[in-house]
Amino acid sequence: MPVTRLLHPLYQLGNPQLRIFRPNWFLTLVRPGKEQPPDTVQFRVPMEMTKYDIKNYLEKIYNVPVGAIRTRIQFGSNKKRNHLNQKVKQPDYKVAYVQLAQGQTFTFPNIFPEKDQTPTEGSMEEMQEKFMEDEKQRQKLDPRRGGVTEWFGL
Amino acid sequence: MAARTRLSLLLPKSLHPLRTHRHVHTEAAVKEPSYPPIVASLTAKSKAARLRQIEERVKKICASPLDEKLSLITRIQRMKFVVYPQTFARNPDRWHQHFTKTAYIPGLPEKFSPGAESPPAAQDHTAATGIDDAAFSEIRDLVTRVILHEHWHKVKKHLNPQVSFYWRRGTRTIPKGHRKGRLEPIRFQIDDHPHSQIRIPQQLPQFAPLEASYTAEVPEVPYAPNLMPLFRRQYENNIFTGAKLPDPVCYGHTQFHLVPDRYHRERLARQQQSDQVEAFLRANAVASLFAWTGAQATYQGFWNYEDVSRPFVSQAVITDGHYFSFFCYQLNTVALSSEVDGNNPRKNILWGTESLRLYQDVQDGEVVGLDDGVVRLLVQFLMNQPHS
Repeated sequence: MPVTRLLHPLYQLGNPQLRIFRPNWFLTLVRPGKEQPPDTVQFRVPMEMTKYDIKNYLEKIYNVPVGAIRTRIQFGSNKKRNHLNQKVKQPDYKVAYVQLAQGQTFTFPNIFPEKDQTPTEGSMEEMQEKFMEDEKQRQKLDPRRGGVTEWFGL
Repeated sequence: MAARTRLSLLLPKSLHPLRTHRHVHTEAAVKEPSYPPIVASLTAKSKAARLRQIEERVKKICASPLDEKLSLITRIQRMKFVVYPQTFARNPDRWHQHFTKTAYIPGLPEKFSPGAESPPAAQDHTAATGIDDAAFSEIRDLVTRVILHEHWHKVKKHLNPQVSFYWRRGTRTIPKGHRKGRLEPIRFQIDDHPHSQIRIPQQLPQFAPLEASYTAEVPEVPYAPNLMPLFRRQYENNIFTGAKLPDPVCYGHTQFHLVPDRYHRERLARQQQSDQVEAFLRANAVASLFAWTGAQATYQGFWNYEDVSRPFVSQAVITDGHYFSFFCYQLNTVALSSEVDGNNPRKNILWGTESLRLYQDVQDGEVVGLDDGVVRLLVQFLMNQPHS
Protein backbone atom coordinates (compact mmCIF):
# COMPACT_ATOMS: atom_id res chain seq x y z
CA MET A 1 0.00 0.00 0.00
CA PRO A 2 1.27 3.51 -0.57
CA VAL A 3 0.98 4.47 3.08
CA THR A 4 0.67 2.06 5.95
CA ARG A 5 -2.12 2.68 8.33
CA LEU A 6 -0.97 5.71 10.33
CA LEU A 7 -2.56 6.75 13.55
CA HIS A 8 -2.75 10.53 13.44
CA PRO A 9 -3.36 12.46 16.67
CA LEU A 10 -7.03 13.21 17.25
CA TYR A 11 -7.92 16.67 16.05
CA GLN A 12 -9.54 19.11 18.41
CA LEU A 13 -10.45 22.68 17.67
CA GLY A 14 -7.35 24.80 17.77
CA ASN A 15 -4.81 22.03 17.10
CA PRO A 16 -2.41 22.60 14.24
CA GLN A 17 -3.34 20.63 11.12
CA LEU A 18 -0.16 18.82 10.22
CA ARG A 19 -0.49 15.67 8.20
CA ILE A 20 2.21 14.77 5.73
CA PHE A 21 1.46 11.87 3.44
CA ARG A 22 4.50 10.20 2.04
CA PRO A 23 4.41 6.92 0.21
CA ASN A 24 5.99 3.97 1.88
CA TRP A 25 7.59 2.85 -1.35
CA PHE A 26 11.23 3.29 -2.19
CA LEU A 27 12.76 2.94 -5.64
CA THR A 28 16.30 1.71 -6.20
CA LEU A 29 18.21 2.86 -9.26
CA VAL A 30 20.35 -0.02 -10.50
CA ARG A 31 22.97 -0.45 -13.16
CA PRO A 32 21.45 -2.41 -16.08
CA GLY A 33 22.82 -5.93 -16.47
CA LYS A 34 22.43 -5.79 -20.25
CA GLU A 35 23.24 -2.71 -22.33
CA GLN A 36 20.17 -0.39 -22.46
CA PRO A 37 19.48 2.53 -24.82
CA PRO A 38 20.56 5.91 -23.43
CA ASP A 39 17.04 7.06 -22.56
CA THR A 40 16.25 4.00 -20.44
CA VAL A 41 16.72 3.94 -16.66
CA GLN A 42 16.38 0.73 -14.67
CA PHE A 43 14.82 0.61 -11.19
CA ARG A 44 14.05 -2.06 -8.63
CA VAL A 45 10.63 -1.24 -7.27
CA PRO A 46 8.39 -2.79 -4.60
CA MET A 47 6.16 -5.58 -5.86
CA GLU A 48 2.93 -3.72 -5.10
CA MET A 49 3.74 -0.73 -7.34
CA THR A 50 2.11 -0.52 -10.75
CA LYS A 51 3.28 1.32 -13.86
CA TYR A 52 1.03 4.26 -13.10
CA ASP A 53 2.30 4.38 -9.53
CA ILE A 54 5.90 4.52 -10.72
CA LYS A 55 5.07 7.21 -13.27
CA ASN A 56 3.33 9.41 -10.71
CA TYR A 57 6.06 8.78 -8.14
CA LEU A 58 8.84 9.92 -10.46
CA GLU A 59 6.93 12.83 -11.93
CA LYS A 60 5.55 14.30 -8.73
CA ILE A 61 8.34 13.68 -6.24
CA TYR A 62 11.40 13.94 -8.44
CA ASN A 63 10.10 15.97 -11.43
CA VAL A 64 11.41 13.41 -13.88
CA PRO A 65 9.55 13.48 -17.24
CA VAL A 66 8.55 9.90 -17.91
CA GLY A 67 7.78 8.64 -21.41
CA ALA A 68 7.08 4.93 -21.20
CA ILE A 69 7.40 2.34 -18.43
CA ARG A 70 7.66 -1.40 -18.69
CA THR A 71 7.82 -3.68 -15.67
CA ARG A 72 8.61 -7.28 -15.06
CA ILE A 73 8.89 -9.48 -11.98
CA GLN A 74 12.15 -11.29 -11.46
CA PHE A 75 11.77 -14.64 -9.81
CA GLY A 76 14.35 -15.13 -7.04
CA SER A 77 15.82 -18.60 -7.19
CA ASN A 78 14.65 -21.31 -4.82
CA LYS A 79 17.26 -23.82 -5.88
CA LYS A 80 20.10 -23.35 -3.42
CA ARG A 81 20.12 -25.41 -0.29
CA ASN A 82 21.63 -24.63 3.09
CA HIS A 83 23.66 -26.89 5.39
CA LEU A 84 20.40 -28.55 6.53
CA ASN A 85 19.48 -29.35 2.93
CA GLN A 86 16.55 -26.96 3.09
CA LYS A 87 15.77 -24.87 0.07
CA VAL A 88 16.73 -21.23 0.52
CA LYS A 89 14.58 -18.75 -1.38
CA GLN A 90 16.08 -15.55 -2.69
CA PRO A 91 13.44 -12.80 -2.64
CA ASP A 92 11.50 -11.89 -5.78
CA TYR A 93 11.67 -8.31 -6.97
CA LYS A 94 10.06 -6.13 -9.60
CA VAL A 95 12.18 -4.34 -12.21
CA ALA A 96 10.96 -1.23 -14.02
CA TYR A 97 12.47 0.07 -17.25
CA VAL A 98 11.65 3.77 -17.49
CA GLN A 99 12.11 5.62 -20.79
CA LEU A 100 12.59 9.32 -20.26
CA ALA A 101 10.62 11.88 -22.24
CA GLN A 102 11.75 15.12 -23.89
CA GLY A 103 14.89 13.57 -25.32
CA GLN A 104 16.64 13.24 -21.96
CA THR A 105 19.30 10.61 -21.49
CA PHE A 106 20.85 8.95 -18.50
CA THR A 107 23.95 6.82 -18.06
CA PHE A 108 24.58 4.98 -14.85
CA PRO A 109 27.69 6.57 -13.27
CA ASN A 110 30.79 4.68 -12.30
CA ILE A 111 30.46 4.37 -8.53
CA PHE A 112 33.83 2.71 -8.01
CA PRO A 113 36.35 4.78 -9.94
CA GLU A 114 39.92 3.57 -9.94
CA LYS A 115 41.94 5.47 -7.36
CA ASP A 116 45.41 6.64 -8.18
CA GLN A 117 47.65 4.27 -6.25
CA THR A 118 50.70 6.54 -5.85
CA PRO A 119 51.19 7.28 -2.12
CA THR A 120 51.91 10.77 -0.82
CA GLU A 121 55.50 12.00 -0.61
CA GLY A 122 57.58 11.26 2.48
CA SER A 123 55.04 8.87 3.96
CA MET A 124 55.52 5.37 5.38
CA GLU A 125 53.75 3.70 2.41
CA GLU A 126 56.03 5.34 -0.09
CA MET A 127 59.15 4.11 1.72
CA GLN A 128 57.72 0.62 2.01
CA GLU A 129 56.86 0.53 -1.67
CA LYS A 130 60.30 1.73 -2.62
CA PHE A 131 61.87 -0.91 -0.43
CA MET A 132 59.73 -3.67 -1.99
CA GLU A 133 60.61 -2.47 -5.45
CA ASP A 134 64.31 -2.51 -4.67
CA GLU A 135 64.02 -6.04 -3.27
CA LYS A 136 62.29 -7.24 -6.42
CA GLN A 137 64.91 -5.56 -8.56
CA ARG A 138 67.66 -7.37 -6.62
CA GLN A 139 65.95 -10.71 -7.17
CA LYS A 140 65.86 -10.19 -10.95
CA LEU A 141 68.73 -11.52 -13.01
CA ASP A 142 71.22 -9.44 -14.91
CA PRO A 143 69.35 -8.20 -18.01
CA ARG A 144 72.46 -8.61 -20.08
CA ARG A 145 72.14 -12.37 -19.70
CA GLY A 146 68.96 -12.35 -21.81
CA GLY A 147 66.86 -14.58 -19.53
CA VAL A 148 69.44 -17.33 -19.12
CA THR A 149 69.61 -18.59 -15.51
CA GLU A 150 72.69 -18.47 -13.32
CA TRP A 151 72.91 -22.23 -12.90
CA PHE A 152 75.27 -22.29 -15.81
CA GLY A 153 78.50 -20.41 -15.83
CA LEU A 154 81.27 -19.95 -13.36
CA MET B 1 75.93 -44.57 -75.12
CA ALA B 2 77.29 -41.40 -73.64
CA ALA B 3 78.72 -40.49 -77.02
CA ARG B 4 75.51 -41.37 -78.80
CA THR B 5 73.41 -39.21 -76.51
CA ARG B 6 75.64 -36.20 -77.00
CA LEU B 7 73.47 -33.59 -78.55
CA SER B 8 74.49 -31.35 -81.42
CA LEU B 9 75.59 -27.82 -80.65
CA LEU B 10 72.72 -26.34 -82.55
CA LEU B 11 69.81 -27.20 -80.25
CA PRO B 12 66.30 -26.86 -81.69
CA LYS B 13 64.11 -24.30 -79.88
CA SER B 14 61.47 -26.73 -78.81
CA LEU B 15 63.38 -29.63 -77.34
CA HIS B 16 60.51 -31.24 -75.52
CA PRO B 17 58.43 -33.29 -77.99
CA LEU B 18 55.05 -32.33 -76.40
CA ARG B 19 55.83 -28.65 -76.47
CA THR B 20 55.59 -28.57 -80.27
CA HIS B 21 51.80 -28.42 -79.80
CA ARG B 22 52.18 -24.73 -79.04
CA HIS B 23 53.09 -24.06 -82.65
CA VAL B 24 50.24 -26.15 -84.00
CA HIS B 25 47.37 -24.29 -82.23
CA THR B 26 48.25 -20.62 -82.14
CA GLU B 27 44.73 -19.12 -82.15
CA ALA B 28 43.08 -21.02 -79.31
CA ALA B 29 45.39 -20.18 -76.41
CA VAL B 30 42.89 -21.45 -73.83
CA LYS B 31 44.10 -24.58 -72.24
CA GLU B 32 41.26 -26.77 -71.05
CA PRO B 33 41.66 -27.81 -67.42
CA SER B 34 42.40 -31.43 -67.16
CA TYR B 35 41.25 -31.65 -63.51
CA PRO B 36 38.02 -30.28 -61.91
CA PRO B 37 38.39 -26.99 -59.92
CA ILE B 38 39.61 -27.31 -56.34
CA VAL B 39 36.78 -26.25 -54.03
CA ALA B 40 35.82 -27.03 -50.49
CA SER B 41 33.85 -30.17 -49.87
CA LEU B 42 30.08 -30.11 -49.58
CA THR B 43 29.51 -32.68 -46.88
CA ALA B 44 32.50 -32.36 -44.55
CA LYS B 45 32.01 -31.12 -40.98
CA SER B 46 34.04 -27.95 -41.51
CA LYS B 47 33.52 -24.21 -41.81
CA ALA B 48 34.63 -24.24 -45.46
CA ALA B 49 32.04 -26.91 -46.22
CA ARG B 50 29.33 -24.83 -44.55
CA LEU B 51 30.33 -21.80 -46.61
CA ARG B 52 30.23 -23.88 -49.76
CA GLN B 53 26.77 -25.17 -48.88
CA ILE B 54 25.53 -21.60 -48.45
CA GLU B 55 27.14 -20.64 -51.75
CA GLU B 56 25.47 -23.54 -53.55
CA ARG B 57 22.12 -22.56 -52.07
CA VAL B 58 22.57 -18.96 -53.19
CA LYS B 59 23.48 -20.10 -56.71
CA LYS B 60 20.46 -22.38 -56.79
CA ILE B 61 18.14 -19.55 -55.77
CA CYS B 62 19.66 -17.17 -58.34
CA ALA B 63 19.14 -19.71 -61.10
CA SER B 64 15.54 -20.63 -60.32
CA PRO B 65 12.40 -19.07 -61.84
CA LEU B 66 10.49 -16.35 -60.01
CA ASP B 67 7.87 -18.18 -57.99
CA GLU B 68 10.29 -20.89 -56.98
CA LYS B 69 12.76 -18.17 -56.00
CA LEU B 70 10.19 -16.61 -53.70
CA SER B 71 9.38 -19.91 -52.07
CA LEU B 72 13.07 -20.81 -51.66
CA ILE B 73 13.87 -17.47 -50.02
CA THR B 74 11.00 -17.69 -47.56
CA ARG B 75 11.09 -21.40 -46.91
CA ILE B 76 12.99 -21.79 -43.63
CA GLN B 77 11.07 -20.50 -40.63
CA ARG B 78 12.93 -19.23 -37.59
CA MET B 79 12.24 -16.80 -34.78
CA LYS B 80 12.06 -13.29 -36.21
CA PHE B 81 11.25 -9.81 -35.00
CA VAL B 82 7.80 -8.65 -36.10
CA VAL B 83 7.99 -4.96 -36.94
CA TYR B 84 4.68 -3.12 -36.72
CA PRO B 85 4.69 0.07 -38.80
CA GLN B 86 2.31 1.72 -36.33
CA THR B 87 4.07 1.12 -33.07
CA PHE B 88 3.68 2.45 -29.53
CA ALA B 89 7.44 2.42 -28.92
CA ARG B 90 9.23 5.70 -28.23
CA ASN B 91 11.32 7.28 -31.01
CA PRO B 92 10.54 4.43 -33.37
CA ASP B 93 11.66 6.29 -36.48
CA ARG B 94 15.35 5.92 -35.63
CA TRP B 95 14.94 2.21 -34.98
CA HIS B 96 13.00 1.61 -38.21
CA GLN B 97 15.55 3.61 -40.19
CA HIS B 98 18.32 1.46 -38.76
CA PHE B 99 16.50 -1.80 -39.55
CA THR B 100 15.83 -0.80 -43.16
CA LYS B 101 18.99 1.26 -43.87
CA THR B 102 16.96 4.34 -44.73
CA ALA B 103 18.09 7.94 -44.62
CA TYR B 104 15.45 10.56 -43.88
CA ILE B 105 15.45 13.82 -45.82
CA PRO B 106 12.97 16.42 -44.58
CA GLY B 107 10.91 18.01 -47.33
CA LEU B 108 9.83 16.45 -50.59
CA PRO B 109 12.03 15.99 -53.69
CA GLU B 110 12.21 18.82 -56.25
CA LYS B 111 9.33 17.40 -58.24
CA PHE B 112 6.84 18.31 -55.52
CA SER B 113 8.39 21.57 -54.33
CA PRO B 114 5.92 24.49 -54.21
CA GLY B 115 7.73 26.43 -56.96
CA ALA B 116 7.34 23.63 -59.45
CA GLU B 117 4.74 23.41 -62.19
CA SER B 118 1.14 23.41 -61.00
CA PRO B 119 -1.15 20.69 -62.25
CA PRO B 120 -3.22 22.17 -65.06
CA ALA B 121 -6.90 21.47 -64.78
CA ALA B 122 -7.13 20.08 -61.30
CA GLN B 123 -6.31 23.37 -59.65
CA ASP B 124 -9.42 25.01 -61.07
CA HIS B 125 -11.59 22.11 -60.00
CA THR B 126 -10.56 22.21 -56.39
CA ALA B 127 -10.26 25.97 -55.98
CA ALA B 128 -13.72 26.71 -57.30
CA THR B 129 -15.56 24.06 -55.34
CA GLY B 130 -14.60 22.41 -52.07
CA ILE B 131 -16.65 24.29 -49.55
CA ASP B 132 -18.67 21.55 -48.01
CA ASP B 133 -16.68 18.93 -46.18
CA ALA B 134 -18.72 15.96 -47.32
CA ALA B 135 -18.91 17.11 -50.92
CA PHE B 136 -15.22 17.92 -50.92
CA SER B 137 -14.09 14.35 -50.53
CA GLU B 138 -16.53 13.29 -53.23
CA ILE B 139 -15.14 15.90 -55.56
CA ARG B 140 -11.64 14.87 -54.70
CA ASP B 141 -12.45 11.28 -55.58
CA LEU B 142 -14.04 12.37 -58.81
CA VAL B 143 -11.05 14.49 -59.71
CA THR B 144 -8.62 11.72 -59.03
CA ARG B 145 -10.65 9.22 -60.94
CA VAL B 146 -10.93 11.56 -63.90
CA ILE B 147 -7.24 12.29 -63.91
CA LEU B 148 -6.21 8.71 -63.62
CA HIS B 149 -8.63 7.55 -66.29
CA GLU B 150 -7.48 10.29 -68.54
CA HIS B 151 -3.81 9.56 -68.35
CA TRP B 152 -3.53 5.87 -68.05
CA HIS B 153 -6.04 3.10 -67.62
CA LYS B 154 -5.25 -0.25 -66.08
CA VAL B 155 -4.70 1.34 -62.68
CA LYS B 156 -5.56 -0.85 -59.73
CA LYS B 157 -7.14 0.64 -56.65
CA HIS B 158 -7.18 -1.81 -53.87
CA LEU B 159 -9.01 -1.41 -50.56
CA ASN B 160 -7.53 -2.88 -47.39
CA PRO B 161 -4.67 -4.80 -48.97
CA GLN B 162 -1.99 -6.69 -47.13
CA VAL B 163 1.65 -5.83 -47.61
CA SER B 164 4.34 -8.08 -46.15
CA PHE B 165 8.09 -8.28 -46.37
CA TYR B 166 10.72 -10.50 -44.83
CA TRP B 167 14.40 -9.55 -44.59
CA ARG B 168 17.56 -10.04 -42.60
CA ARG B 169 19.88 -7.38 -41.21
CA GLY B 170 22.72 -7.54 -38.75
CA THR B 171 23.85 -10.45 -36.61
CA ARG B 172 23.68 -11.38 -32.98
CA THR B 173 25.54 -13.90 -30.87
CA ILE B 174 23.25 -16.63 -29.58
CA PRO B 175 23.46 -16.31 -25.78
CA LYS B 176 22.26 -19.74 -24.65
CA GLY B 177 21.40 -23.12 -25.99
CA HIS B 178 23.14 -25.74 -28.03
CA ARG B 179 24.10 -23.06 -30.58
CA LYS B 180 25.63 -20.77 -27.99
CA GLY B 181 28.36 -18.43 -29.19
CA ARG B 182 27.53 -18.68 -32.88
CA LEU B 183 26.55 -15.71 -35.03
CA GLU B 184 23.00 -15.65 -36.25
CA PRO B 185 21.39 -13.13 -38.63
CA ILE B 186 18.56 -11.04 -37.16
CA ARG B 187 15.36 -11.62 -39.11
CA PHE B 188 12.51 -9.13 -39.48
CA GLN B 189 9.00 -9.34 -40.84
CA ILE B 190 6.53 -6.58 -41.56
CA ASP B 191 2.82 -7.34 -41.99
CA ASP B 192 1.13 -4.11 -42.91
CA HIS B 193 -2.53 -3.33 -43.63
CA PRO B 194 -2.75 0.08 -45.29
CA HIS B 195 -6.13 1.65 -45.84
CA SER B 196 -5.86 1.61 -49.64
CA GLN B 197 -3.31 1.20 -52.33
CA ILE B 198 -2.89 2.34 -55.93
CA ARG B 199 -0.79 0.15 -58.20
CA ILE B 200 0.33 0.81 -61.76
CA PRO B 201 1.74 -1.40 -64.52
CA GLN B 202 4.90 0.68 -64.96
CA GLN B 203 7.59 1.82 -62.55
CA LEU B 204 7.53 5.43 -61.34
CA PRO B 205 10.61 7.46 -62.30
CA GLN B 206 13.29 7.79 -59.67
CA PHE B 207 13.57 10.91 -57.53
CA ALA B 208 17.33 10.90 -57.13
CA PRO B 209 20.13 8.92 -58.79
CA LEU B 210 21.48 5.84 -57.04
CA GLU B 211 24.87 7.40 -56.45
CA ALA B 212 23.37 10.30 -54.54
CA SER B 213 22.41 7.91 -51.77
CA TYR B 214 26.03 7.03 -51.02
CA THR B 215 26.47 10.17 -48.93
CA ALA B 216 23.19 9.93 -47.05
CA GLU B 217 23.31 9.26 -43.31
CA VAL B 218 21.55 6.35 -41.72
CA PRO B 219 21.20 6.46 -37.91
CA GLU B 220 23.09 3.60 -36.28
CA VAL B 221 21.49 2.03 -33.24
CA PRO B 222 24.01 -0.23 -31.51
CA TYR B 223 21.39 -1.92 -29.30
CA ALA B 224 19.49 -5.14 -29.87
CA PRO B 225 16.03 -4.70 -31.43
CA ASN B 226 14.22 -6.23 -28.46
CA LEU B 227 15.07 -3.14 -26.40
CA MET B 228 12.79 -1.03 -28.59
CA PRO B 229 10.57 -3.02 -27.46
CA LEU B 230 10.18 -5.48 -30.32
CA PHE B 231 8.99 -9.05 -29.97
CA ARG B 232 9.91 -12.26 -31.75
CA ARG B 233 7.65 -14.89 -33.21
CA GLN B 234 7.98 -17.67 -35.70
CA TYR B 235 5.45 -18.05 -38.49
CA GLU B 236 5.23 -18.01 -42.25
CA ASN B 237 7.66 -15.65 -43.95
CA ASN B 238 5.42 -13.64 -46.27
CA ILE B 239 6.51 -11.38 -49.11
CA PHE B 240 3.46 -9.78 -50.66
CA THR B 241 2.84 -6.46 -52.45
CA GLY B 242 -0.95 -6.54 -52.38
CA ALA B 243 -1.39 -8.59 -55.52
CA LYS B 244 -0.29 -12.09 -56.33
CA LEU B 245 2.80 -12.72 -58.44
CA PRO B 246 1.30 -13.13 -61.97
CA ASP B 247 -0.57 -9.80 -61.75
CA PRO B 248 0.72 -7.39 -64.46
CA VAL B 249 -0.10 -4.35 -62.33
CA CYS B 250 2.74 -4.98 -59.92
CA TYR B 251 4.47 -1.65 -59.37
CA GLY B 252 3.34 0.56 -56.54
CA HIS B 253 2.19 4.14 -56.82
CA THR B 254 0.60 5.45 -53.64
CA GLN B 255 -0.55 4.06 -50.37
CA PHE B 256 -2.95 5.66 -47.93
CA HIS B 257 -2.63 5.04 -44.23
CA LEU B 258 -4.97 6.01 -41.45
CA VAL B 259 -3.73 6.92 -38.00
CA PRO B 260 -5.56 4.84 -35.37
CA ASP B 261 -7.34 6.54 -32.48
CA ARG B 262 -4.64 5.50 -30.05
CA TYR B 263 -2.07 7.72 -31.78
CA HIS B 264 -4.20 10.76 -32.40
CA ARG B 265 -2.67 14.08 -31.56
CA GLU B 266 -5.11 14.96 -28.79
CA ARG B 267 -4.53 11.72 -26.95
CA LEU B 268 -0.77 12.07 -27.10
CA ALA B 269 -1.03 15.70 -26.03
CA ARG B 270 -2.99 14.59 -22.96
CA GLN B 271 -0.14 12.27 -22.09
CA GLN B 272 2.40 15.05 -22.76
CA GLN B 273 3.99 13.13 -25.60
CA SER B 274 3.34 15.49 -28.49
CA ASP B 275 6.87 15.07 -29.83
CA GLN B 276 6.11 11.42 -30.55
CA VAL B 277 3.47 12.30 -33.17
CA GLU B 278 5.95 13.12 -35.94
CA ALA B 279 8.24 10.24 -34.96
CA PHE B 280 5.28 7.86 -35.20
CA LEU B 281 4.33 9.09 -38.67
CA ARG B 282 7.89 8.83 -39.93
CA ALA B 283 8.33 5.35 -38.52
CA ASN B 284 5.06 4.29 -40.10
CA ALA B 285 6.14 5.64 -43.48
CA VAL B 286 9.60 4.04 -43.33
CA ALA B 287 8.32 0.60 -42.40
CA SER B 288 5.29 0.52 -44.73
CA LEU B 289 7.05 1.89 -47.78
CA PHE B 290 10.15 -0.23 -47.27
CA ALA B 291 7.97 -3.32 -47.07
CA TRP B 292 6.02 -2.35 -50.19
CA THR B 293 9.02 -1.41 -52.35
CA GLY B 294 11.00 -4.39 -51.07
CA ALA B 295 8.16 -6.73 -51.98
CA GLN B 296 7.90 -5.11 -55.44
CA ALA B 297 11.64 -5.62 -55.96
CA THR B 298 11.37 -9.26 -54.87
CA TYR B 299 8.53 -9.76 -57.33
CA GLN B 300 10.96 -8.63 -60.05
CA GLY B 301 13.57 -11.13 -58.93
CA PHE B 302 15.87 -8.92 -56.83
CA TRP B 303 16.75 -10.22 -53.41
CA ASN B 304 19.49 -10.09 -50.84
CA TYR B 305 22.25 -11.52 -53.03
CA GLU B 306 20.99 -9.94 -56.27
CA ASP B 307 20.70 -6.26 -55.60
CA VAL B 308 18.26 -3.99 -57.47
CA SER B 309 19.54 -2.62 -60.76
CA ARG B 310 17.14 0.34 -60.75
CA PRO B 311 15.55 2.20 -57.85
CA PHE B 312 12.00 1.30 -56.86
CA VAL B 313 9.86 4.29 -55.95
CA SER B 314 6.59 4.59 -54.08
CA GLN B 315 4.60 7.24 -52.28
CA ALA B 316 2.43 7.32 -49.20
CA VAL B 317 0.00 9.67 -47.55
CA ILE B 318 -0.59 9.21 -43.84
CA THR B 319 -3.56 11.01 -42.39
CA ASP B 320 -5.95 11.13 -39.53
CA GLY B 321 -8.51 13.12 -41.48
CA HIS B 322 -7.33 16.52 -40.32
CA TYR B 323 -3.56 16.41 -40.73
CA PHE B 324 -1.86 15.02 -43.82
CA SER B 325 1.74 13.89 -44.19
CA PHE B 326 3.28 13.06 -47.54
CA PHE B 327 6.17 10.65 -47.98
CA CYS B 328 8.21 9.52 -50.98
CA TYR B 329 10.41 6.47 -50.70
CA GLN B 330 13.18 5.31 -52.99
CA LEU B 331 14.49 1.78 -52.54
CA ASN B 332 18.10 1.66 -53.73
CA THR B 333 19.19 -1.55 -52.10
CA VAL B 334 17.69 -4.77 -50.85
CA ALA B 335 21.03 -6.28 -49.84
CA LEU B 336 20.84 -5.73 -46.09
CA SER B 337 22.19 -8.91 -44.53
CA SER B 338 25.59 -8.88 -42.87
CA GLU B 339 27.44 -10.77 -45.62
CA VAL B 340 26.64 -8.25 -48.35
CA ASP B 341 26.16 -5.10 -46.31
CA GLY B 342 29.85 -4.52 -45.60
CA ASN B 343 30.74 -3.14 -49.03
CA ASN B 344 27.31 -1.87 -50.03
CA PRO B 345 27.43 1.94 -50.07
CA ARG B 346 23.83 2.32 -51.23
CA LYS B 347 21.15 3.49 -48.85
CA ASN B 348 17.41 3.82 -49.15
CA ILE B 349 15.95 7.31 -48.95
CA LEU B 350 12.72 8.64 -47.48
CA TRP B 351 11.55 12.15 -48.22
CA GLY B 352 8.77 13.38 -45.99
CA THR B 353 6.87 16.39 -44.76
CA GLU B 354 5.68 17.34 -41.34
CA SER B 355 1.96 16.91 -40.84
CA LEU B 356 0.10 19.67 -42.66
CA ARG B 357 -3.36 20.83 -41.68
CA LEU B 358 -5.92 20.35 -44.40
CA TYR B 359 -8.52 22.67 -42.89
CA GLN B 360 -8.73 24.79 -39.80
CA ASP B 361 -12.21 23.99 -38.64
CA VAL B 362 -15.65 22.81 -39.72
CA GLN B 363 -18.38 25.20 -38.62
CA ASP B 364 -22.03 24.70 -39.50
CA GLY B 365 -21.27 22.51 -42.45
CA GLU B 366 -18.70 24.97 -43.84
CA VAL B 367 -15.01 24.21 -44.09
CA VAL B 368 -12.99 27.10 -42.69
CA GLY B 369 -9.44 27.68 -43.84
CA LEU B 370 -9.04 24.93 -46.41
CA ASP B 371 -5.34 24.76 -47.21
CA ASP B 372 -4.94 24.78 -50.97
CA GLY B 373 -1.30 23.85 -50.77
CA VAL B 374 -2.14 20.58 -49.13
CA VAL B 375 -4.79 19.80 -51.71
CA ARG B 376 -2.39 20.66 -54.49
CA LEU B 377 0.28 18.41 -53.00
CA LEU B 378 -2.24 15.60 -52.82
CA VAL B 379 -3.21 16.03 -56.43
CA GLN B 380 0.43 16.24 -57.48
CA PHE B 381 1.10 13.04 -55.64
CA LEU B 382 -1.70 11.25 -57.38
CA MET B 383 -0.75 12.70 -60.73
CA ASN B 384 2.82 11.45 -60.57
CA GLN B 385 3.03 9.08 -63.48
CA PRO B 386 5.77 7.00 -65.11
CA HIS B 387 7.44 8.08 -68.35
CA SER B 388 5.17 6.57 -70.98
